[in-house]
Amino acid sequence: MRYGKIVFGFAAAGFLLLAAGTQQTHGQAAKASTAADNSTGLIDVKQSDLLQKQVTDNWVNYNGDYSGRRYSAMSQITPVNVSHLAPKWVFHTQEAGPLEGTPVVVAGVMFMTSGNDAYALDAATGKQIWHHSRAVTEGLVDDAASHHNRGVAVLGTRVYMETDNVHLLCLDARSGNLIWDVQYAPENKNYGATAAPLIVKDKVLVGTAGGDSGVRGFLAAFDAQTGKEVWRFWTIPGPGEFGSESWPGDQYLLGGGTTWMPGTYDPELNTLYWGTGNPAPDYDGSVRPGDDLYTSCVLALDPDTGKLKWYFQYSPHNLYDYDAEQTPVLVDANFKGQPRKLLVSASRNGFLYILDRTNGKYLYSKKFIANLNWAKGIDENGRPISNNLIPDEKGVRVCPSVSGGTNWYSPSYDPATHMFYFRSMESCSIFTSKHQDFQIGQTYYATGAGRPQGESTKGVINAFDLDKLDFAWRDPLIGTTFAWAGVMSTATGLVAFGDDAQNFVILDGHTGKPLWHFNVGQIIRSSPMGYAVNGKQYFAVAAGSGDLFAFALP
Amino acid sequence: MRTKRFGILLASSALFLAVEMPAAAHAQKKDASEAAQQFQANCAVCHGADASGDKGPALTTPNIVAKSDAALIKAVHDGTAAGMPPFPQLGDETIAALVHYLRKLQGQGETALTVTGDAAAGRTLYFGKAQCSSCHMIQGNGGFIAPDLTEYGRRHAAEAIRKAIVLPDARLAPDARVIEIQTKAGKKLTGVVRNEDNFNIALQTEDGRYHFLARNDLADVHDTGHSLMPQDYGTKLTDRELTDIVSFVIVTGQTHPAEPAPKRHNDDDD
Repeated sequence: MRYGKIVFGFAAAGFLLLAAGTQQTHGQAAKASTAADNSTGLIDVKQSDLLQKQVTDNWVNYNGDYSGRRYSAMSQITPVNVSHLAPKWVFHTQEAGPLEGTPVVVAGVMFMTSGNDAYALDAATGKQIWHHSRAVTEGLVDDAASHHNRGVAVLGTRVYMETDNVHLLCLDARSGNLIWDVQYAPENKNYGATAAPLIVKDKVLVGTAGGDSGVRGFLAAFDAQTGKEVWRFWTIPGPGEFGSESWPGDQYLLGGGTTWMPGTYDPELNTLYWGTGNPAPDYDGSVRPGDDLYTSCVLALDPDTGKLKWYFQYSPHNLYDYDAEQTPVLVDANFKGQPRKLLVSASRNGFLYILDRTNGKYLYSKKFIANLNWAKGIDENGRPISNNLIPDEKGVRVCPSVSGGTNWYSPSYDPATHMFYFRSMESCSIFTSKHQDFQIGQTYYATGAGRPQGESTKGVINAFDLDKLDFAWRDPLIGTTFAWAGVMSTATGLVAFGDDAQNFVILDGHTGKPLWHFNVGQIIRSSPMGYAVNGKQYFAVAAGSGDLFAFALP
Repeated sequence: MRTKRFGILLASSALFLAVEMPAAAHAQKKDASEAAQQFQANCAVCHGADASGDKGPALTTPNIVAKSDAALIKAVHDGTAAGMPPFPQLGDETIAALVHYLRKLQGQGETALTVTGDAAAGRTLYFGKAQCSSCHMIQGNGGFIAPDLTEYGRRHAAEAIRKAIVLPDARLAPDARVIEIQTKAGKKLTGVVRNEDNFNIALQTEDGRYHFLARNDLADVHDTGHSLMPQDYGTKLTDRELTDIVSFVIVTGQTHPAEPAPKRHNDDDD
């Protein structure tokens, strides 16, 4: 196993030998600094900023750019000098809730959320320059009651965030003052919201959580200027609509398929890609016959109208809480020798998928969970061949577990190595089910999922090679605190993530060999990001109990 | 939630924040002045006479405002993990009366302030001739360099607001002070401080730009002792106009749902 072996001698010698190279890098960085000087400190995010093809100084949305690659083109920190990486600052949120967000950085200003609070920080020092304080909401159900929030979106001089009780807030990025506040969920109080919004053109796209609590999922677009709703796509079809045969009577109002992570966007195809959550009730499929569209899908939508272009369903008629919220990563690469516009996603159901994102056509899948037993495989159309393991009162053992083969923590694609990096989880659950009537104020799982006695959970970091269509390496993680921590990659082949022993780790993306780690002293439940201020490259990651860490070279 | 309907609610009609909790009915039995005395006797020593904080945290912050009466009553009765001692000896009735009184200090409940001017005319002045809006946001409209005034009228009486307009430097908040900075490289900057310590200053200039400066790089930091507010509102505006603007600010604060105000500094009470 590679994990845990660091060859200090080699690293130090390499650093000395390559000192000239490092100087060169610093020289380039200094130039970048001069160029960036005029833009530091002034928040005015243009469409061209959001459309950036290379993520360098600014990390403009949840995933850094529209592609969802979570890839920084910065090259100052290298496999050679990364051993010198050191913490630069720690920001502690006043309301120390669990942090699951990714910061956004624009012009040297970092924006972060914790619960319903938003913060603006000097990205070089971590010092707070404003704080929009808003109390968390009491009396929410399930996920919303945990007040998770995954960050902001920015456009012009404005910052946008969702709140636990499903409001979209528009704040002035220069002061934190509230400009407008729109409640965007219908009456059903079981809705919550946890995602970072996504800006596409002049619209703010928002979704909801609550898919385990009997809500009807949707994605909505609001005019970024006025807060007026422009369109709304319901992920559960209404009576008479295509797919409605799965939702007898009023069941469509409870069907789930929520939209609790930000999607991705292809400006050239003018297409939005958005994952949907599990159907509800989670474990009782008898009240929702058929495929349960559009749950556990990736949706391709027209961002101007909200019209559906195509969909691909990863887990039809799912009974195990397998959301399809995992980032649909947009990759332009050769597939079997042909240049293609691909959509790559490691699904919670335990298979990695490659689709043609121009039309949703299934191209390829690969099982990444060793003990997967819910399906025999995937057929030539991309449809799983189910083993028909149906939760009942006695219980049925299914792998991957209710937490999935992977989950919302981010994957990353490195266009230089053609590697798709992601965290996976080896575990199983005993699913039990009996009929449950929906009630406002209660979850709608229709019974539960528990870990089989004596079994444990194992985290793995995976590198999937898109050229070879196989895993380049897979590193099991040692530790007792399973982290819900995503990965990112950089132009120098580094892969950064939180491990299962409360370390923030950087390894060599080519080999999986660990190069550096730092004990943050708490579980990391977020995905890291990178940015630069005045020519200095940083990594930042939020850690579980309310602390945000930034790292850079001395 | 007072307003409920499907679809979106725009901020202007959005009276939906669940913070207007009527104090327990039996609290009414206690005479208000007695509650005030009890507050001074038991709470003020830590939380300040007006609940704005002293040794202990302010009780007028959004997170405390948003707590239910039941949660506050429990905090007084049982104490808190943050170090507040329990006060069960006061008895349930007194504790409920104290929470009711605290709601008034938070600007909730029966603190209707007297308005003698024309708030609509005041609004026109605020966004027009008086140019208040070029710096102060109110209900989502206006500038960013000076504090948001949406809630200001909830917590300030007419006289205090008028004084703040005509004598803006009389009580200067730290983040209102105009600071002039000269860097060692010869650059001059004038703005307001958003964060500072012994090592760094974050200065915001009127164009909205943040300047993140290391003290080592600075030749001079000069506190002008002024805010960005014009000093001549006392003569530029008539008495009637001032009254109208004050009325607009108060009416806005009274009618706006308790919305959390942004904080610019590292307040240790939130």
